[in-house]
Amino acid sequence: MSRNRFNFLHNSELELRRDAYGFALRPQHIQGYREYAGIYKEEEEERTQKWKNFLENQELAQLRSTKEKYKETLQANSTEFEEETVRDKNSEGNKAEASELKRTTFSEKGSEGNEAEASELKDETVSVSGSQVDEAQDTRWKADLSERSGRSNVPEGTRETVPERGREGEKAEVTELKEETLSERGKKGDDSSRKSDSDGSKELSPQKEQLSEETKTEKVQPWAQIRPSLGTIEHMMNFRVKKRKVMKGEQITKSGDHLPSIDEARSSGGESDEDIKEKVCVTVTSYGSVNGLDDKGSQEDEVSPEPYFPWKEELESLVHGGVPKDLRGELWQAFVGVKARRTERYYQDLLAQEINADESKEHDNSFGVPRKWKKQIEKDIPRTFPAHPALNEDGRDSLRRLLLAYALHNPSVGYCQAMNFFAGLLLLLMPEENAFWTFVGIIDDYFDGYYTEEMIEAQVDQLVFEELIRERFPKLVHHLDYLGVQVTWISGPWFLSIFVNILPWESVLRVWDVLLYEGNRVMLFRTALALMELYGPALVTTKDAGDAITLLQSLAGSTFDSSQLVFTACMGYLTVTEARLQELREKHRPAVLLVVEERSKGGRVWKDPNGLATKLYSFKHDPELLIEENKGTEGSDDALADGDLSYKEPAANLDNMLSGLSVNSELEGRDLQEQVVWLKVELCSLLEEKRSAVLRAEELETALMEMVKQDNRRQLSARIEQLEQEVAELQQSLADKREQESAMIQVLMKVEQEQRITEDARRNAEQDARAQRYAVNVLEEKYEKAMASVAQMEKRAVMAESMLEATLQYESGQAKAVSSPRAVHNQSSVDSPKRRIGLFGLAWRDRNKGKPSNLEGSSDRKSTN
Amino acid sequence: MGCSGSVPARSSGQSGGLNNLENAGSSDAKNLRVKLVLLGDSGVGKSCIVLRFVRGQFDPTSKVTVGASFLSQTIALQDSTTVKFEIWDTAGQERYAALAPLYYRGAAVAVVVYDITSPDSFNKAQYWVKELQKHGSPDIVMALVGNKADLHEKREVPAQDGIEYAEKNGMFFIETSAKTADNINQLFEEIAKRLPRPSPSS
Repeated sequence: MSRNRFNFLHNSELELRRDAYGFALRPQHIQGYREYAGIYKEEEEERTQKWKNFLENQELAQLRSTKEKYKETLQANSTEFEEETVRDKNSEGNKAEASELKRTTFSEKGSEGNEAEASELKDETVSVSGSQVDEAQDTRWKADLSERSGRSNVPEGTRETVPERGREGEKAEVTELKEETLSERGKKGDDSSRKSDSDGSKELSPQKEQLSEETKTEKVQPWAQIRPSLGTIEHMMNFRVKKRKVMKGEQITKSGDHLPSIDEARSSGGESDEDIKEKVCVTVTSYGSVNGLDDKGSQEDEVSPEPYFPWKEELESLVHGGVPKDLRGELWQAFVGVKARRTERYYQDLLAQEINADESKEHDNSFGVPRKWKKQIEKDIPRTFPAHPALNEDGRDSLRRLLLAYALHNPSVGYCQAMNFFAGLLLLLMPEENAFWTFVGIIDDYFDGYYTEEMIEAQVDQLVFEELIRERFPKLVHHLDYLGVQVTWISGPWFLSIFVNILPWESVLRVWDVLLYEGNRVMLFRTALALMELYGPALVTTKDAGDAITLLQSLAGSTFDSSQLVFTACMGYLTVTEARLQELREKHRPAVLLVVEERSKGGRVWKDPNGLATKLYSFKHDPELLIEENKGTEGSDDALADGDLSYKEPAANLDNMLSGLSVNSELEGRDLQEQVVWLKVELCSLLEEKRSAVLRAEELETALMEMVKQDNRRQLSARIEQLEQEVAELQQSLADKREQESAMIQVLMKVEQEQRITEDARRNAEQDARAQRYAVNVLEEKYEKAMASVAQMEKRAVMAESMLEATLQYESGQAKAVSSPRAVHNQSSVDSPKRRIGLFGLAWRDRNKGKPSNLEGSSDRKSTN
Repeated sequence: MGCSGSVPARSSGQSGGLNNLENAGSSDAKNLRVKLVLLGDSGVGKSCIVLRFVRGQFDPTSKVTVGASFLSQTIALQDSTTVKFEIWDTAGQERYAALAPLYYRGAAVAVVVYDITSPDSFNKAQYWVKELQKHGSPDIVMALVGNKADLHEKREVPAQDGIEYAEKNGMFFIETSAKTADNINQLFEEIAKRLPRPSPSS
């Protein structure tokens, strides 16, 4: 079935309205898609070639090392000797070194990076059969080289039977082992390796149940190994998974979560108890080896974070360029480190448990998937990539199983909308169980805390993104602020859906390629920033909130140039690193926690019932696993001899091993099952207490921070007051100075005015003087005129006098002749005044002798007048 | 209550009083702009209502909404005013309620949707009404919508229950069907009529 589905993706005769992946195109994007379809094809061809070359080089290198190894195996069977030679070979470097590293740490002979890896970490028994394994290996390599495309990896030879046998075992197990008691578990461990046993148990199982089993689980695709050529990549990524687990363990230890108590229990059990049962010893030794491995791992970590992979950079650039369609499903599994995560039959167990819960019709929370999630999943299945050709009835069944199994696997997340799309996408690319483990890796690791009930990390990430975008695109953010648009309205759905349904599919897959390769959420941020970079300029031109949001949505939806997007994201934002993000997350987390806390206090009735119940449930669920774990290791000899896969990666189950150990060492001789549950309940309540204590502590811390802040604020405000006072003083003095200045200016102005006044006065005076002078002149003139007239008058007077004299003389001559007394008297009375005038006139004449001409002229004029 | 069309814009962002442009656009008594948020249980048909209203389409197998999605639509009323609805369609699942405040904060209108064939969804609608009364804008216009009215033979929530609950809480009630387009436009027109208008002087 997987092949059908897979082939469908390659079918070029697709509907016009669907893209190369079978996803519906929005009508407005059909044109855009057509334009890019050709480019996609070219790119695809190019990258297929590049990857082919890369993988061929890898294989050649590996093949060489495998062959050498094979020879060594023939030469000597002693593990010590082999280890030495392996160490010698380490100095050779290159790819072989990478693989050998693992060999050294595991100190075993199975070849790495492929099917045989699952049977690694075995003891002497395996060493004996090792050569056979290697031989099979060798042929497999050759086969794989010749047959490169398609799923060639559950193929010929002895391997063929392995998955099948695994499945039979699982079926048997489901029908036969509901109680999950220890002894039965033990048998199961053998089942997986011994066909006769599994046959036997199958016969034991009632037909009816088996039938119902078949109808429900038959369709589950078998686990498929990824092609061996990707083994080295897978190995590299597995290392990361293990490392992360170790780190997680450390973190938990530090943060005082529930593991430490188990840890203590383990150490006390390991140290003091000498009469521990054989079983426990086995567990301890196997744990010891695991521990040893991890110790080595962490020692290596200290030297260099990861073993040296010379081709890592090449791989990275290949990933940035995109993963070929044919390889995508398997490469994604390799990136997520599916092999290191996988536990044999775990998925089938979860499904069986769910089915049983369903059949028993007990829908209480303690068994099976809680009802509300089931309902939600049912609602969402038809709404996941509706009408996608591959999501037919079978496809939907797979989707349902996967989501239900995950909800059982991690009750703290359960089911969250968005996960349906991820699961659907993965199912399009790989078989069901592989999809499950990839899904587990993505949700549990990459997006830890994202899709939980409170969605805390999702909220934190939004705050982080907002800070980044404010830092990177201040202008754009300013404009959006101005429009009243919050970036997180838009980026929230981007992050939560990991761009599924947001970007065109080609771009979504390219982003996922990088994201899964990098193993964290950095690519999420980088892509979102790249989108803002690409579309920011257009956004700035928008005039209202609605237009801005609509524009950004539609632009994002038409980001067909996936290469441009990925390169902008990867090259343009190198400074956005996981470390930086962690720092910012730490900074913003308290605020989110505070809000969440307040909300839950505010009486969210439908949230609370989950807390303890689901936890209790998950613990009830756990013991089965860990017991299986113990048994699995116990029965490992046979399993190994057969080259079966019943063995579980040690680090992958470190946690389980730990708990298993504590259970075994503390409770010898008792009813394990009961005790485990009891212990877990105890633990659970402890955990609850601890959590509330932690929350309380956080609360107090925030309160303290608040107080400190307030304290600071007080100091600051005091200082501000002081400064303000100073400022006021300065202003005051400044004002004073100004006043003085203005006073001075006023004075100056007054002086000036006075000056002006005096000048005016002077000018007036001068004018006056001039006027006076003029008046003087006028007067002088008048005077002269007057003088002239006086002179004239004098002349006239003189003339008159002379005339008078003449007259007088004449009269006297007559009088002498007449000689009358009266006449004489009259003459004397007239005479006297005339004399006076004459005298006066003479005096005037004397004084004006200096201007005779004038006098003469004027008198002349007078006379003429 | 003195609410104006510009309320969403003004109180939505962290921008404070920066939105002069927006206010200029929305304080116009003739052209309102309104932020509207759709809330309600998963699968009651929130996205379908919006799609029917904005694009006139109905897709029985529409996609699950992750987070929220945005669409806008302008309608003209008889008094020649236009109202531009900026619609935030939110995800229905319970846990997404943690993100809902991001979208209903500052909204002038909240449309709370339930499915008339599902009493659970009616309960959830009541939860949303309470939440909005507690944390929404004090002058928010609320509408209670019973969707899937075409499935009347499967009805489990009597219309009377919706009417009574809406009355008690000062809401406007309507039953719609996104499938048949019944009452969809009426819903938005009625909301538009109930919007407090900015006084022409402002």
